Amino acid sequence: MGELAIALHSIDLSEQSKYMKKTRKGKIRTAAKTKSAAALKLTVIALLLLTAIGFLSFDYKKVNAAQAAFSTVQNARVLFAQPRLSYNTVAGIARALFVTFSLGALSTIFGAILGFFGALMCARNISNPTLSNIVRSFVAFIRAVPTILWVLILTVAAGLGSVAAVVGLTFHSAAYLVKAYSESIEEIDSAAIEALKASGASYWQIIFQAVVPSSISYMLAWTFLRFEINFTNAIAVGAAAGAGGIGYDLFMAGSFYFSLRELGFITYVVAAAVIALEALSTKVKAKVG
Amino acid sequence: MPILEFQNVSKVYNGVTKALSNVSFSVDEGDFVSIIGPSGSGKSTILRCINRLVDATQGEIYFDGHDINKAGKQELREVRKKIGMIFQHYNLVDRLSVIENVLHGRLGHKSTIAGVIGAYTEQEKETAFSILAMLGLTEQAYKRCDELSGGQKQRVGIARSLMQEPRLILCDEPIASLDPSASKVIMDHLSEINKALKITCIANLHQVDVAMKYAKRIIGLTSGQIVYDGPAQDLSRSKIYEIYQSNEGELITDIRYSYE
Repeated sequence: MGELAIALHSIDLSEQSKYMKKTRKGKIRTAAKTKSAAALKLTVIALLLLTAIGFLSFDYKKVNAAQAAFSTVQNARVLFAQPRLSYNTVAGIARALFVTFSLGALSTIFGAILGFFGALMCARNISNPTLSNIVRSFVAFIRAVPTILWVLILTVAAGLGSVAAVVGLTFHSAAYLVKAYSESIEEIDSAAIEALKASGASYWQIIFQAVVPSSISYMLAWTFLRFEINFTNAIAVGAAAGAGGIGYDLFMAGSFYFSLRELGFITYVVAAAVIALEALSTKVKAKVG
Repeated sequence: MPILEFQNVSKVYNGVTKALSNVSFSVDEGDFVSIIGPSGSGKSTILRCINRLVDATQGEIYFDGHDINKAGKQELREVRKKIGMIFQHYNLVDRLSVIENVLHGRLGHKSTIAGVIGAYTEQEKETAFSILAMLGLTEQAYKRCDELSGGQKQRVGIARSLMQEPRLILCDEPIASLDPSASKVIMDHLSEINKALKITCIANLHQVDVAMKYAKRIIGLTSGQIVYDGPAQDLSRSKIYEIYQSNEGELITDIRYSYE
């Protein structure tokens, strides 16, 4: 170390200093000065500003903060500490949970199938640029509209009920999965694709012999994530689009029966179901990985 | 009768980068040709023009009677079936087993649907195993490819190309990522394949001494132009310096001479 330090010391720095850039404080800069860093800074500042404005412009009416806090705690205690069913039976709740689960599963399966073929057209490394851009902007548009809104739009065509819910959820799932899958495909090493191409393999052979095996675990991970999202969305559309399931029961308990205890019970059931799903998906992913 | 012929082939990438200019040569069946030259001199481009992984900008390439640059989709597949290729980074599907990767060499010969579901005949599987036996990989057959060492991966690459029953094997820097002993194993296998199976080999190599030992003929490439094309034993030291555009004593192969 000593010798190295001496050797380094003897190097004339004046030659190098031409290339060195300094920070505002006069230290040698190490980070590259990029547009994205500046954009990030600007975004953070803008968000902070918006937050401040938001809090200042609230209409606080004449809420007594102390009383409001007290009532909130009171309600939370009833909600979470005294869950009880009074309008539904346990069997009814279980069936409703199954309905919601099915809504989520169906829309995920349809979404995954559509998403897979969309992703093949979208991934830049296996598609042509024009097609890729068309698919990309199309799914970006679909994704820009929130899932619930798609379901509501589709209720116009399919009427209130589970059909609109599944189709609407599928719509958004497919667009979401196109993006997720195509990014998984773009991540894979294109070397194997080149090798199969060189040996005269056809397009579909390359897809199923090289692309799918290389990206299947990523794709599965995304599919499970989407299933979790669809499950929670299915709860919401259960009420909003009259698709039934546990979301509808939740809505009824809250807006019709004003029963905090029933709400609490259903909330616990939903939380347990989501955690169970998460555990299951972790297990499956570990097996596939 | 040459199996492969280049006539005034040029390649320009993106309309600016000249990779090949006016390259002409022909290769006889059963030959072992090595292409040497500095990085960026167009070695890989030449190989990739042969199986059209890269489209030549100008000129004609004939392989086994096919005009490659004019070949349609179906004809191109026919041509590619007959040309095996091995790569510096092996280009295997890491998540699949060794035997599955070897069988990939048959995809070009199969119907799309059979290839998609991976339905290989028993005979194809037996052939795959005998190729693995020849390359000493039988024990690894059911391992996933990412568990193998570099030398073993490259042997899987060779097995895959042999599975095609090729007339020609293109080797793109086959030993550039391997240690000296694994390199020798690979080069010996390629040499054996060339001699025993009469498969023509074209290998891009960075190691001039390896090229001179294994190849019958050497093509020297400098910035997209052929500066040497002749028997390996006639390649003089001064010509090597010309190919690599460097001065005496500045090449890594010179180290040996400085110790003598």
